[in-house]
Amino acid sequence: MSEIKTQLVVLGAGPGGYSAAFRAADLGIDTVLVDARATLGGVCLNVGCIPSKALLHVAKVIKEAKHLSSHGVSFGEPQIDLDKVRDWKDSVVSQLTKGLSGMTKMRKVQHVQGYGKFTGSNTLEVTGDKGTTTITFDNAIIAAGSEPVSLPFIPQDDRVIDSTGALEMKDIPGKMLVLGGGIIGLEMGTVYHALGSKIDVVEFLDQLIPAADKDIVKVYNKTIKDTFNVMLQTKVTGVEAKKDGLYVSFEGKQAPAEPVRYDKVLVAVGRKPNGLLMAADVAGVTVDERGFINVDKQMRTNVPHIFAIGDLVGQPMLAHKAVHEGHVAAEVISGKQHYFDPKCIPSVAYTEPELAWVGLTEKEAKEQGINYEAASFPWAASGRAIASDATDGLTKLIFDKDTDRIIGGAMVGTNAGEMLGEIGLAIEMGADAEDIALTIHAHPTLNESIGQAAEIYEGSITDLPNAKAKKK
Amino acid sequence: MSDIKDVLVPDLGEDSVEVIEICVAVGDSIDAEDAIVTVESDKASMDIPAPFAGDIAEICVAVGDKISQGSLLAKISAAATTAAETPAAPVTEPAQEVAAPAALVEEVAVVPAPVTTSAVSIIEVTVPDIGGDENVEVIEVLVAAGDQVEAEDGLITVETDKASMDVPAPESGIVKEVHLNVGDKVSQGSLVIHLEVTSTTTEAAPAPAQAPAAAPAPAAAPVVTATDTAPVAAKAPPVPHHPSATIQATGKVHASPSVRRIAREFGVDLTQVNGSGSKGRIVKEDVQSFVKYELSRPKVTSATASSVGDGALQVLASPKVDFSKFGEVEEKPLSRIQKISGPTLHRNWVTIPHVTQFDEADITDMESFRKAQNVVAEKRKLGFKISPLVFIMKAVADALKAYPTFNSSLSADGESLILKKYFHIGIAVDTPNGLVVPVVPDVDQKGILELSKELMEISVKARDGKLKAADMQGSCFTISSLGGIGGTAFTPIVNAPDVAILGVSKSEIKPKWNGQDFAPKLMLPLSLSYDHRVIDGALAARFAVHIKDVLTDLRQIIL
Repeated sequence: MSEIKTQLVVLGAGPGGYSAAFRAADLGIDTVLVDARATLGGVCLNVGCIPSKALLHVAKVIKEAKHLSSHGVSFGEPQIDLDKVRDWKDSVVSQLTKGLSGMTKMRKVQHVQGYGKFTGSNTLEVTGDKGTTTITFDNAIIAAGSEPVSLPFIPQDDRVIDSTGALEMKDIPGKMLVLGGGIIGLEMGTVYHALGSKIDVVEFLDQLIPAADKDIVKVYNKTIKDTFNVMLQTKVTGVEAKKDGLYVSFEGKQAPAEPVRYDKVLVAVGRKPNGLLMAADVAGVTVDERGFINVDKQMRTNVPHIFAIGDLVGQPMLAHKAVHEGHVAAEVISGKQHYFDPKCIPSVAYTEPELAWVGLTEKEAKEQGINYEAASFPWAASGRAIASDATDGLTKLIFDKDTDRIIGGAMVGTNAGEMLGEIGLAIEMGADAEDIALTIHAHPTLNESIGQAAEIYEGSITDLPNAKAKKK
Repeated sequence: MSDIKDVLVPDLGEDSVEVIEICVAVGDSIDAEDAIVTVESDKASMDIPAPFAGDIAEICVAVGDKISQGSLLAKISAAATTAAETPAAPVTEPAQEVAAPAALVEEVAVVPAPVTTSAVSIIEVTVPDIGGDENVEVIEVLVAAGDQVEAEDGLITVETDKASMDVPAPESGIVKEVHLNVGDKVSQGSLVIHLEVTSTTTEAAPAPAQAPAAAPAPAAAPVVTATDTAPVAAKAPPVPHHPSATIQATGKVHASPSVRRIAREFGVDLTQVNGSGSKGRIVKEDVQSFVKYELSRPKVTSATASSVGDGALQVLASPKVDFSKFGEVEEKPLSRIQKISGPTLHRNWVTIPHVTQFDEADITDMESFRKAQNVVAEKRKLGFKISPLVFIMKAVADALKAYPTFNSSLSADGESLILKKYFHIGIAVDTPNGLVVPVVPDVDQKGILELSKELMEISVKARDGKLKAADMQGSCFTISSLGGIGGTAFTPIVNAPDVAILGVSKSEIKPKWNGQDFAPKLMLPLSLSYDHRVIDGALAARFAVHIKDVLTDLRQIIL
């Protein structure tokens, strides 16, 4: 049993945890980073954001290559070597985790591998392969993240997988059911479809990606109508594991009458926080029954020297939110009067095409009784979108009519996620429609659709009929 | 009810010691100071005593375990009655002067066991961050068990060397138990009371889809109240804990993330800040000037300190005195003019380095001339009398021409002098409502009779309260004459943006040596206060002499 005394222990080395640890180290705080995995980066790098993007890249190129045949260039059917695809994905992950490991050493952050549990308000016990380590700390940041929700009525079976299982890519199933029409399910569905699987998606609500606005999802629905078989307002009532497959029975609006056979079922119904796994209560930290830890705007729990960040402090469960929270927590510990005080947090579904939104959705603006106006620029009117064969897209900006300031924005279409940053910056800086419309966007780009949407609101659009034109 | 409290290993003076004996068993009833375990270091063995009485709920160590400071030793279920008998002992400071290693007590953060229904819970109210002070004294306990309190009601008053402040109730509820007495020393985290709250919010689980709501503030911001006893004004008030720091900058605020961050650091509520950027955007400089303004603003609500100017001059607060203790009193509000002129006078007094030059003018000849002219004026039925003040005004105008530095103002940035080519003179007039300073323009171009008439008219207007703002603007120099009342000298305050002021006291016949004998002369005392940043002493003396010479022999003016 070894013992460590430190100023700060960070529990969890995902994007939030390692960012907090690095920031703290850079601020001169003696920091220990604890994680169950041998590699740093948490779910995001190891079994989440990053590997799924590697596979989505592959999927996108397959799809575009196929599509090119209609423009006179044919490559023939793709030959897929699954082992090589998996190796490519793993090499992406290992490149990044190695980089992190190097930066950890460079910053003299001590990495302790194992499961951490609090044994007191200032002590943490880490159990790992190399034995037990007791860490006595002045401050702690809990950054233990979340894990996929599993459904109790679905049998334990190798063919039932979650996002982690899907990323392992053991094989390419002939037919796969994606249970849950959210971001993770649709991203993995996109990958497997490109690799040759037939995909069914079942969603309990009346819309895929329920958090996004209907008009945005509508454009997405149009583009995927030939790829996925989507069953909305439908739920799975049972899964029977038989030798030849998993037989799934449904109930609801678009439910098939008979159970349907699948080679694999991907459960992607959400993630649950890991707040209950590290005995935080022993340290005096209040954790609710679902595993969320309540924090203030400085990321402080009810125990003043213990902080919590990331998925386990609440929605949205997004890496970039955790990173910023981690910075705030580290800075507060170092004595700075910083607060987690963003106006908006962006969300992106890296499907094909991508969906991306930031700030208020129209739905939220309506609920909050804001006097708003949305201005949408359809990509069918964009020269670049037509040239790039990407006309299935829409850029929508939402403005507060009292101030003309931008309060939200959403996009669907190729590279939508890459373009969202401008809208986020505009919201944070308090830009109004005129500011955006007068910012010269390069032509031809997909990105200029943002300027054009602002011009629609301003009544100065010339690439579309102008509803606000002063007619004489 | 009973709380289960953790007993942690206190500072033993050793990093790690071995448990050699466990002196109690689960279920045992023990008194404070009874030994829980015996430990052995390489130097000695010692008992670790219970910090309070209660029943042993759990023993968390075994013989042979290595323990160190902060290790969980045991859990003790403390009976509430027992706790009440020894109220402060377990929860106040770790009492380092006590030689025996009294075990540290850590409250289980949220007291479990809702009392009767799920809607009622008991929360602990602890002393919030009181600006880093430790061991502050409780000077008043404002509540008793059974009291109903509202959120923000004061529970106890503590006194630091800077201020006294109330520790407020975080929520409304019923005081179950008070853990402090007057005279106790407390620090951040000390237990104040147990509060029974009937709430739906604390029990209800937060909706997962929402961004995390601010946790039920574990420590509400202290409410600073004025101190009765004179405090030692030393440091700036603890800005980081300004109550507005907790106000959330809403989406309505037009400020970028970096500006929102600096506002948070200074505890500035951005909704109070006017943006100077395009379309009302709040830029960094707006936050800085807001802070500067707030620091320099005369403090109306807080009597702890007042400060003036960008240099943030801090002065002691005047002590609050209850005069009715000494006899009958009556409170009369300041007049409107007093309220307006007070802060201005205060600013001028504090920001202008004043020097006052005293002199006397022989006005024997002037007075005989004036009296003769008044006889003429009466005969001609002019309807006014010529006062000595008019002659003084003419003399001052002449002196201003001779010494242009006196007819100037400092530029706003303090880098240059603005010299005036006009000669408007302000006259301080005593009115029933307070002091006002009407301005007589172009004194250099007017004769004695015209000035006398104008002075009479403006004085009547002033006493009737009919002066307009324009009548009181544009002065170059001010004269304050108390000659009609009495006094030998006084020190007038410069009426900024003027750079000097002339005070006039009562003239008196004095024996003056004329070279052969003493002759009776009517002498007029002059008090010239000036802004030493602009005018130096020699110049002021010359200026005063110039006035004196003119008054002594009015023919000087036509030279």
